Amino acid sequence: MSSELLFKPVRELAALVRARQLSPVTLTELYLDRLERLGPKYNAVVTITRARALSQARRAEGEIAAGRYRGALHGIPYGAKDLLATAGTLTTWGAAPYREQRFDFDATVIGKLEDAGAVLCAKLAMIELAGGMGYRQPTASFTGPCINPWDTGVWTGGSSSGSGAAVAAGLVPFAIGSETWGSILSPAGYCGLAGLRPTYGRVSRHGAMALCWTLDKLGPLALTADDCGLVLEAIAGADSADPTASERPYRYEAAGRRGFRFGVIPDVTDGCEEAVIANFRRSLDALAKIGTVEEVALPDLPFEQITRTILQVEAVSAFEDLIESGRIAELTAPEDRFTPYAREAILAQDYLKAVRLRGVMAREIDRVISRFDALVAPGRINEAPRLGQEFRSAIRATAKDVMGAVGNGAGLPAVCVPNGVGARGLPTSLQFMGRAWEENRVLDAARAYQSLTDWHTRHPKLD
Amino acid sequence: MPETPNPEAVALFALVANRYGGRLTTEQLDEIKKMVEGQVEAARALRAVRLSNADEPFQTFTAYRSEP
Repeated sequence: MSSELLFKPVRELAALVRARQLSPVTLTELYLDRLERLGPKYNAVVTITRARALSQARRAEGEIAAGRYRGALHGIPYGAKDLLATAGTLTTWGAAPYREQRFDFDATVIGKLEDAGAVLCAKLAMIELAGGMGYRQPTASFTGPCINPWDTGVWTGGSSSGSGAAVAAGLVPFAIGSETWGSILSPAGYCGLAGLRPTYGRVSRHGAMALCWTLDKLGPLALTADDCGLVLEAIAGADSADPTASERPYRYEAAGRRGFRFGVIPDVTDGCEEAVIANFRRSLDALAKIGTVEEVALPDLPFEQITRTILQVEAVSAFEDLIESGRIAELTAPEDRFTPYAREAILAQDYLKAVRLRGVMAREIDRVISRFDALVAPGRINEAPRLGQEFRSAIRATAKDVMGAVGNGAGLPAVCVPNGVGARGLPTSLQFMGRAWEENRVLDAARAYQSLTDWHTRHPKLD
Repeated sequence: MPETPNPEAVALFALVANRYGGRLTTEQLDEIKKMVEGQVEAARALRAVRLSNADEPFQTFTAYRSEP
């Protein structure tokens, strides 16, 4: 690929496309070539959608030439996590039992991106069943572990693993991932990217694999927070096929504001690696230049137990057929083949208690967070784990993640951006979590932080 | 000295073992036993929070009617 195009943010590519200085067909061919050449190196790709991509790119080129420019994503290539249905092509959910699965329709998100003129180039690898069966290791996918472009000996994070690898390696300018608990912020953080988890209900889930009906969110991974906003505007909105998709309008507004109010939970760096803590402190110093930073205590509630209980029960219910039939034995990670059975022992009354407590949690957090533009915290507790290593996870209660429990349990938006490197030279990250429906506010804050730092302009050295 | 097993965890594990034991190895069952103990601990934390009668589940049920 022409080196001047590689790692250009969507906003800059869009300006070139709109001015007809860059052909969508040429751009698409360049990314298809990279996906074909480099995708296997990172185990990032399940299916390359070459024919569909070139057809969409030619249409975009014709429309733009005719003066019918649709907006910032018109003619821009992208990849989608392989849990989004795409008519006619494989949609494997990352799992061997579904490796031949096809749907005859597009997920709403795919349709909305088509309406915006974006070009679908690839279905991207993922952890099997979006990690909902309790995986402990990077190999938990029938396509193999996703390899981090920053270091081929380490993992990308998951479960939107291929979405992280593909954007970090410059195989697509942006990708769509999903998060139930951590699955966008983890690969974005480990791969040095911006990742946006929208408010629950901001983006239709129709056509996406259901892991947990009340926790699943779809959102972008991209090179900058600004790009995440551009993508969110295209995919947000009501959908008659998903009653949880909100009718609240969303328009991305890239305001250049300052004077933010940031909150920090007192023990939020507990369990973090030293370099993560040091980088977080430096980030707080940077944030103090654009606003105030104040410590804020959360109410005393069992946040992690609430969200974990809901996740565990919904996930085994969503995959009841697979579990009851015994076909979970076909999953790749050994632990995924039996962990769901344990969850059958969660009592209905305890699950309902968690769902009732969720309302208390949502109201209490809103009361706290409404005083701030965002709560800030490290995006991840560590640098990316090594490929052969078991990792710690709040979902399995082997790590703390209050921000993740609260954010996902209450359906709050968060964006993470790179904020430094750790002891092994791998990216660390900073997250901004806001009130429900306040994506623009957290994106404002993340963009302001990125205007003070250059971590997002650094990219892995690729062979 | 080994800890006394939590009777609730023992009973819930027996439920799983009875239902699915035939398809699981001894090692898998041992792991499931630990997971069930963790789930019972989590349940204790949930049960420790008092709620009022008005604290409803935080998801809305709506009556359905097919509209022409």
